[in-house]
Amino acid sequence: MGSAAMQIARTGIDAQDMRMRVISNNLANVNTTAYKKDRAAFETLAYQTVTAPGAPSTAESKYATGLNLGTGVRVQGTARIDTQGSFQQTNGSLDLALDGDGYFQVQMPGGTLGYTRAGNFSRSPEGLLVTSEGYQVQPGITIPENASGITIGTDGTVSAIVSGQTGSTQLGQIQVASFPNAGGLLNKGDNYLVETSASGAANLGVAGQDGRGNIRQGQLEGSNVNVVEELVDMIETQRAYEVNSKMISATDEMLKYVNQNI
Amino acid sequence: MDKLVYTAASGLKAHLASQAAIANNMANASTTGFRADRVVFDRLSLQGSDFDTRTPASAEVVDADRKPGAIQQTGRSLDIAITGESWLAVQATDGSEAYTRRGDLQVAPSGVLQTGDGFPVIGSGGPITVPPAQSISISEDGKLSIVPLGGDARNPQVIDTLKLASPKGSETVKGTDNLLHVKGGGVLPSDLDAKLETGALEGSNVNMTQALVDMIENQRSYEVQANLMKSAKDMDESSASVMRLPS
Repeated sequence: MGSAAMQIARTGIDAQDMRMRVISNNLANVNTTAYKKDRAAFETLAYQTVTAPGAPSTAESKYATGLNLGTGVRVQGTARIDTQGSFQQTNGSLDLALDGDGYFQVQMPGGTLGYTRAGNFSRSPEGLLVTSEGYQVQPGITIPENASGITIGTDGTVSAIVSGQTGSTQLGQIQVASFPNAGGLLNKGDNYLVETSASGAANLGVAGQDGRGNIRQGQLEGSNVNVVEELVDMIETQRAYEVNSKMISATDEMLKYVNQNI
Repeated sequence: MDKLVYTAASGLKAHLASQAAIANNMANASTTGFRADRVVFDRLSLQGSDFDTRTPASAEVVDADRKPGAIQQTGRSLDIAITGESWLAVQATDGSEAYTRRGDLQVAPSGVLQTGDGFPVIGSGGPITVPPAQSISISEDGKLSIVPLGGDARNPQVIDTLKLASPKGSETVKGTDNLLHVKGGGVLPSDLDAKLETGALEGSNVNMTQALVDMIENQRSYEVQANLMKSAKDMDESSASVMRLPS
């Protein structure tokens, strides 16, 4: 015995379950460097016209209003909320935070370019500037073995004191990528995003120019997850889940009542 | 058999339909900008040679509830919440102008500004297309401004104005696409006093407590219809037993 009400409540439960997954992922990443929280976007499923307005109710009259029954809800996608995370002072000379829009460009395994805001870089054994996963920052910066006092300016200029030379030597410039629609970047996990047709092509340039953010040395961008907000969302999701399950049991009781009493 | 059983059957059917409508409201309690459906029962009078006492019930969704939903701060620059009674104009799938309260806007790969459920947003001259930009922002009165690629960030350019329409004085209905349409076609006039809040979203206006109460009430009412059907059955049985010849 099928009932529309039960199936609709099931879509509600499914969607709230999906939202809970998004919330728990946000909470799990509360300490991930430069993590951007996701939001589950809900969408109504199609409405069905049971009685069309204007359909004849009798030979002489018409229905003034119709009966349009909705068929439930689904999570149509997740939207990444690209607000700035708070800065954490680390004093690491290769810890960089982006103050404003933009991404660091890195080369991922397989040669594809990835984009990240997590600037917890380090020096590889070969002397290259790499991310914590060992992906090379593009365009590449080489730091000599005996370099000390590495300074990175707000525009990304890397300089250091190399032994045997007087004064500081400029080693290169870290560039920042911006996108026509950063919301369209695809999340590949491990803090990396990749370009899609929705995001448009990366626009590499100097930090602090054309709307790109400044680079801050010795700081890291924290996650933009607001724990209190997520907890409130979690409670809301839980209650919405419960109410949908109540609907299933209420409809079940209705059908049971009819089955047992007629 | 008495016709009472058919009246009761129509009641059962109508209550199951309204249970589905309540379930749909509950399921959409987290859908951005959703407007709850209101269900009423209508008597379907049957006229004819018989008495006019048989009035079966039929359920109708009369209209969407127009109360505003709660506004949540999100901080995202393309999230808008309409604070007054205005509606945001969008293009429905058939190309006509329809209205929504859903404000989670995004830029599609083609550059078209659309709502979270994929309807293009209408500006001063049809759907709005956003050229490649460093940043996009929406002002309180619905003006959409961008900083073009390579442009000066201190000097944003207004490219279009979102159409915020006033439903006052026009008859509007909620269609099967979850958008508000003008009854019989046509468009709503722009609301010049409309105000937006950016970085915020208006939630669903489903009142969970109300929905729960409606659900229980509907359930009990359904049981009454079932009892009515049982009474019809009992009456029919007793009349049959009166007619039976003693064996």
